[in-house]
Amino acid sequence: MKKALAIILAVVMIITAVPMLLAGCGSESKKLVVGFDSEFPPYGYKDDNGEYTGFDLEVAEAVCKELGWELVKQPIDWNSKDMELNSGTIDCIWNGFTIQGREDDYTFSKPYVDNSQVVVVKKGSDIKSLGDLKGKVVAVQDDSSALEALTGEDATDANKKLCASFKELQKLADYNNALMNLDAGSVDAVCMDIGVASYNIKNNADKYTQLSDIISTEQYGIGFKKGNTELKDTVEGALDKVVESGKFTELAEKYELQDAVCLGK
Amino acid sequence: MKKRPVIAVFVFAALLVPALFASCSGISGSDVNWFMGVVYQLSNGMWASLLLFGCTILFSMPLGLLVCFARRSRFKVIELITKFYISIMRGTPLMLQLLVVYFAPYYIFKISLSSEYRTYAAIIGFALNYAAYFAEIYRSGIEAVPKGHHEAAKVLGYSKSQTFIKIVFPQMVRHTLPPVTNEIITLVKDTSLAFAIAYIDMFKIAKELSAQQSNIMPLFVAGLFYYIFNFVVSFVMGKIEKRAKRYE
Repeated sequence: MKKALAIILAVVMIITAVPMLLAGCGSESKKLVVGFDSEFPPYGYKDDNGEYTGFDLEVAEAVCKELGWELVKQPIDWNSKDMELNSGTIDCIWNGFTIQGREDDYTFSKPYVDNSQVVVVKKGSDIKSLGDLKGKVVAVQDDSSALEALTGEDATDANKKLCASFKELQKLADYNNALMNLDAGSVDAVCMDIGVASYNIKNNADKYTQLSDIISTEQYGIGFKKGNTELKDTVEGALDKVVESGKFTELAEKYELQDAVCLGK
Repeated sequence: MKKRPVIAVFVFAALLVPALFASCSGISGSDVNWFMGVVYQLSNGMWASLLLFGCTILFSMPLGLLVCFARRSRFKVIELITKFYISIMRGTPLMLQLLVVYFAPYYIFKISLSSEYRTYAAIIGFALNYAAYFAEIYRSGIEAVPKGHHEAAKVLGYSKSQTFIKIVFPQMVRHTLPPVTNEIITLVKDTSLAFAIAYIDMFKIAKELSAQQSNIMPLFVAGLFYYIFNFVVSFVMGKIEKRAKRYE
């Protein structure tokens, strides 16, 4: 019996010790670990072959090639992004990451996409403008810039008033879940980034449509841990080269984002 | 007679697959291709879920026995510490525990974390949590053994460890098989919580596919995977239970 106990104890000790050792070493060749939400097409998602791809990830790939680094694509839980970044498990958040409202929390690269927050409704819905949202249930992704634009400290008075006119503002885990709610009729409209909206409308042209009114405009940047300007400058420098070479514009066209990008013009 | 449950699995699969197709408006070649594509991608994620499941069972079941001993210890201090451990593990969300296991080395000890640690953290978090539940299940099994058995063993000259191994343990196993099966089935489904620390399991892949295709069907295919997996688990546990009954 004592022997059995000793073996069990030994196994437990080994399993707790191994990760500690592993956590200590590693990182021989220079790696850039990019954290992203893998349910955020067209910026970061899984393609048909099961590989992570998207506009942001392909640009990151080009940047790493420029620097001779290895790109590690790390899908993260969007709600844990700050913990991931602060603890160093990811080097940056590069995934349609809105700068406005987050300036004090991260060190940002220069903006590379002009984004707007739009409202997606069911096709044939009687909601035609922002005014029609009065008394309706509206969904946003939790911790998203749409939520920030509606309820954040820097929200415009018009948006605050708009938000107050809703019957309810629902925060959901991801956009896909929000669109499922829209399908099912449990929400009447979803506020989201224009890039993601276009992707989903393109895939389901018979189901969704987008209001021509926009809620807010903002810009995407690459988010680094606050104070990590060294890495930011290196990545930004390489990004400039990728833009100069025309690769950036090429990728933007591939993902039909040529109207949204604000570099290389 | 013996082959019946196996047949049941096939019948079930054969019934559900067409039902799934019927719900996506008519069956055609492209639907079959789509289904196979989703199954292929999910099966990649299934290995991650299986790894987490297997390691959790492997570590939490013996660890649970250890915790159970500590919980029943004659020493008040050990008993109290174990009681506290069990109450924390059962009283706080598993998702929070995973975040703590993964991020604590950095936030408390300032050790920088590697990405590989995710897998270990998920296994440690799950094993610690499930050990607490298993410990209580084992305890109920041990305490269900009548006092008379202990006394009889003592009269027959069995030592304490002999009594445990030969008399108490086999009865405990038999008593606890149904609740243990329950825990194992819960564990199969709980593995999807590991995404809180970005451990990519099957359900996360289903959500990604769903986002990419703007279609909710991949989630149902994932559900089918879980169901079949749990079907196998219940089947195996049922067999074991039957075997254990032979000693009654």
